[in-house]
Amino acid sequence: MKARASKATALGIAAVACLAAFPTAALAAEEEAAGGLSVILPNMLEFVPMLVAFIILWIILAKFGWPMFNGMLEKRENTIREALRKSEEAQIESERTLAEYRKQLADAKAQAAALIAEARETGDAVKAGITEKAHAEAADMIAKAKVAIEAEKKQAIAELQASVVDTSVDVAARLIGEDLTEGEHRKVIERYVKEAGSFNAN
Amino acid sequence: MPINRLVVKEEIATYAGVLFDAASDRGGLEAVLEVRSQMEAVIGAMRADMGLAPTLSDPDAADDVRYELAKGAFGACEPELGEVLAVMAQRRDLDLLPRVLEALNGLMAEKLDTVVVDVTTVVPLDDELRRIIKEKTEADLGANVVLREHIDKAILGGIIMSTGEKRIDASIISQLNHARNVLKETTDGGEC
Repeated sequence: MKARASKATALGIAAVACLAAFPTAALAAEEEAAGGLSVILPNMLEFVPMLVAFIILWIILAKFGWPMFNGMLEKRENTIREALRKSEEAQIESERTLAEYRKQLADAKAQAAALIAEARETGDAVKAGITEKAHAEAADMIAKAKVAIEAEKKQAIAELQASVVDTSVDVAARLIGEDLTEGEHRKVIERYVKEAGSFNAN
Repeated sequence: MPINRLVVKEEIATYAGVLFDAASDRGGLEAVLEVRSQMEAVIGAMRADMGLAPTLSDPDAADDVRYELAKGAFGACEPELGEVLAVMAQRRDLDLLPRVLEALNGLMAEKLDTVVVDVTTVVPLDDELRRIIKEKTEADLGANVVLREHIDKAILGGIIMSTGEKRIDASIISQLNHARNVLKETTDGGEC
């Protein structure tokens, strides 16, 4: 910035020097070309004050304006540089954060996958346990049902058999009671007395 | 009031001895058998009539009242039996009567060499059956036997002989019941 300011200052000084070194030539030419060149040559009476005013303006600008402008440029440059630096830092930070996020995401995915796998294994184990337990319970229930059915079957058959026995014995008792004559009864008594055991045996 | 087993046993022996001696003196074996028979009837009546025994053993009644009640209730019995029963009622010992009967049976076997055998059949016995039964029971018991015959159609046929705690059950109903039990117990649970 300072180099540019120095360069502008040098150009201004050169122009002023040219104008100051050749005023006579300019006047001569004005006179010679009063007919043609005078059209394009400045009027000295106007030119000098303008030049003075220009120089004054230039000095003022060089003294006050340019440093301000230069300061603004420097400030702007610094601002942009800072912004760029911050941007780079932000980019680096964002890249680092992104990498971290990616790593975390990868970890999370791996963890989720592990959890899913573990949950699947646990689920399979629970499922297998439940299935096994259900099978065992079903087998137990079937076994108990078979035992109960068998017991009820035996009970029913025993009751039926007892009923048949009772009926048969009752029928036999009735037949014996009705059919035997007194003589037959006495024969039975005689036979039973002879076949009966001893009092001493009881 | 007897509280000791030996005392009670002594009392039972005393009641039985009095009965036996009195009946024996009065009419010998026949009288003793009659007393025994009446005692069995009294025991049966007391078991059948739920109010008789409590009335004759009522602790609220005076001893003399119980004595008179028993004399009136058992007035138709042989005199010695009626007197003993009245005394037992007075002393509230009527619950000992079955054991007195057992003691009387023991005295008969001991002093008269005679045992009473109760014979239960469906039809009345004839002389031949009586002889056969008497021979068998005398051989078994080693004493003279007096048969006391009972008719009971419920036994269906055959014979039941009993004396005291000994018993031979050769009745048809008993055999049918035995067959019934065997048939029921030999069930194989339906594996026919």
